[in-house]
Amino acid sequence: MSGNSNGYAVEVERLAKHYPPDIRAVDDISFEIKRGIVFSMLGPNGAGKTTTVEILEGLRSPTSGKVSVMGENILKSCSKIRKKVGILPQDFEPFDLLKPVEAVTYWANLFSIDISRKEVNRRIGEVNLTDRKNVMAKKLSGGEKRKLGIAMALVNDPELLFLDEPTTGLDPKARRDIWRLIEDVGRRGSTVLLTTHYLDEAEKLSDDVAIMHKGKIIAQGTPEDLVAEYGKSTVIVLVGAGRKGLDEVRAFGVQATELDGDVLISCKTRAEMRSCFEKLASLEAPIRDIYTKRETLEDVFLNLIGQKMENGVLQE
Amino acid sequence: MKRILSDVINSGKMYMRSTVGTFFTLVFPVLLILLFGAIFSNIGSQSISLKVQNLDDGPYSQMLTAILNETGIVNLREIPQPEDIIEYINDESLSVALFIPANFSENIMAMQTNSSLSLPVTLILYGDFTSSSFTTARTALDAASSIMNYNLSGAHQMIFVQSASAVPSESFQFMDFFLPGIIGLTIMTTTLFGMTSMCAEYRSRGYFKLLATTTLSKSEWLVSRFLIYTIILLVSILITVAVGVFVFDMSATLTPLVLAFLAIGVLLFAGIGMLLGTVIRDPETGVAIANAIGFPMMFLSGSFFEIASFPPYMQTVAQFLPLTYLNDGLRDTMIYGNTESALGNMAVMIVIAVIFFVLASKLMSWKEK
Ligand SMILES: Nc1ncnc2c1ncn2[C@@H]1O[C@H](COP(=O)(O)OP(=O)(O)OP(=O)(O)O)[C@@H](O)[C@H]1O
Ligand SMILES: [Mg+2]
Repeated sequence: MSGNSNGYAVEVERLAKHYPPDIRAVDDISFEIKRGIVFSMLGPNGAGKTTTVEILEGLRSPTSGKVSVMGENILKSCSKIRKKVGILPQDFEPFDLLKPVEAVTYWANLFSIDISRKEVNRRIGEVNLTDRKNVMAKKLSGGEKRKLGIAMALVNDPELLFLDEPTTGLDPKARRDIWRLIEDVGRRGSTVLLTTHYLDEAEKLSDDVAIMHKGKIIAQGTPEDLVAEYGKSTVIVLVGAGRKGLDEVRAFGVQATELDGDVLISCKTRAEMRSCFEKLASLEAPIRDIYTKRETLEDVFLNLIGQKMENGVLQE
Repeated sequence: MKRILSDVINSGKMYMRSTVGTFFTLVFPVLLILLFGAIFSNIGSQSISLKVQNLDDGPYSQMLTAILNETGIVNLREIPQPEDIIEYINDESLSVALFIPANFSENIMAMQTNSSLSLPVTLILYGDFTSSSFTTARTALDAASSIMNYNLSGAHQMIFVQSASAVPSESFQFMDFFLPGIIGLTIMTTTLFGMTSMCAEYRSRGYFKLLATTTLSKSEWLVSRFLIYTIILLVSILITVAVGVFVFDMSATLTPLVLAFLAIGVLLFAGIGMLLGTVIRDPETGVAIANAIGFPMMFLSGSFFEIASFPPYMQTVAQFLPLTYLNDGLRDTMIYGNTESALGNMAVMIVIAVIFFVLASKLMSWKEK
């Protein structure tokens, strides 16, 4: 990795970006991204994710604060890091009148890279665009355009990859393809900064998550840490256990509540849950089913932001 | 270098694939040439106009003109007697004119009465031998004089027709004059409209931002724009001139100065276009303003008509339009061969080009606010 290695791909100190009259798009945030990890910024619309990311990319200037990317002060020398960084902007639009093969070749050349036809085809194959590689970009679907954008962002084998909502609007299969691609990039040792509204995405891909809201980072950590810290607990549901079940469970010395004929047992830790299951083995009350509801990043997110979600997508 | 080359190739591809681009650069000028050519050139029309200065007041010159008129090939118009014919040709930029000497009828009558006499009875056809109107006029005159020889003397050659080269120093047909105008116009429309809408599009669709993520620098991009427009317009100029010369027999010459005018013209109008596309935040407004500037400039800068024929106040307006200097400069070098005057026009253009291009490239930013 780069010479000026201090273990961080990105360091942000007291970053702020204000827009007139009094919009605080980014409000005094600080964070670091370790090299080689996948870092997600999670947040509702208007949280300030794109603003933050574009400042890191050297595409917008901050109102105040210090930003270093790959060891370089981005305000002074953003041309130095261009070769090492790959970027997919949120509002990415490909050049309408170029075909994917041409666009990828063009983009490689703009990084002074000689690229063979075979290599171009391989990179287009990587994003599953092989059938569409000779179609004029304006005729590609929204998802196909995004895939082309990702292929272009990867063309210089970046050490640091910025993906601003790479999977928004993609179908489930395409999302999974992109996830695999991001995992591959991560395995190669590159750092990835991802913004997303999808909690399953952040949970599945990231080593580190920052939850942004109204220009501030309101929580940060690994998905597991966040769930442990801000999630409430895991709930064991005994379906149809009824009043009788509740009494029996309480007799075991376990805290429980009844809801619509089901018995709910709340466990704070795994050990607590394990001991709970041991006791339940001798339960005599009739039950139709047992399942557990684990709190997810989604619940954490909701607890923190208090807005409603549908199908894993945040609704305003 | 590789980056610039690749940008030239790929942006050039996009340009040629866009219908607007190809229309303004390649189709529009050829259409104009064909349209105006069909209206104004001699080719395709039945008769040519032949100016005649007749110093003879006898019957035979009357007879000659009557026969000429009857051929239907020429349309006679009179040159007033006191004029000096050579000067007149110059002033009016005629490609052909007929001179009938004062003693024409008198000498014919003298020879008819005394057949041993040999007096000069010579018609002189002045003009530019290379022009097609000259050839047409010569054919008509030869025919008319043999008819007269036959009638007057039984085919004994009495009247001679002499051709005299009289190429006006500033001899050009309307079409010749028109060709540099079309070239100037094409340089202006292609780069001004092209750059305005390109900058607006690149900004609104986020292409500037996208380019900013690569190692291509802004100045490399500007060099690439300059090269693309220069190359595409060079092709356009070659096609336009070829159509003019081969279809309409125009006599413009492509001098090295034309290339210099092309390069400076590209800088100048690309600079203005960039400024409009950059300073005006709303893309459609930018393009509308470019049109509002560009279209009147086409007419007021003498692309189609000589500025000298404009009313005085419009001539004053023309002096403030950069296209005027491009059109004049191109005419200086392509038609009149007047390098000195061409360089004068070029100097004015360089000053304007530098101001606009530098200003625009300073104001243009690929970053977002
Ligand atoms: N150029 C601008 N001028 C004024 N306000 C802006 C500008 N860009 C962003 N903002 C404001 O800054 C705030 C943060 O916007 P940003 O695009 O960073 O949000 P985001 O988290 O990326 O949202 P989304 O999930 O919708 O992409 C918003 O309130 C937005 O209106
Ligand atoms: Mg965003």
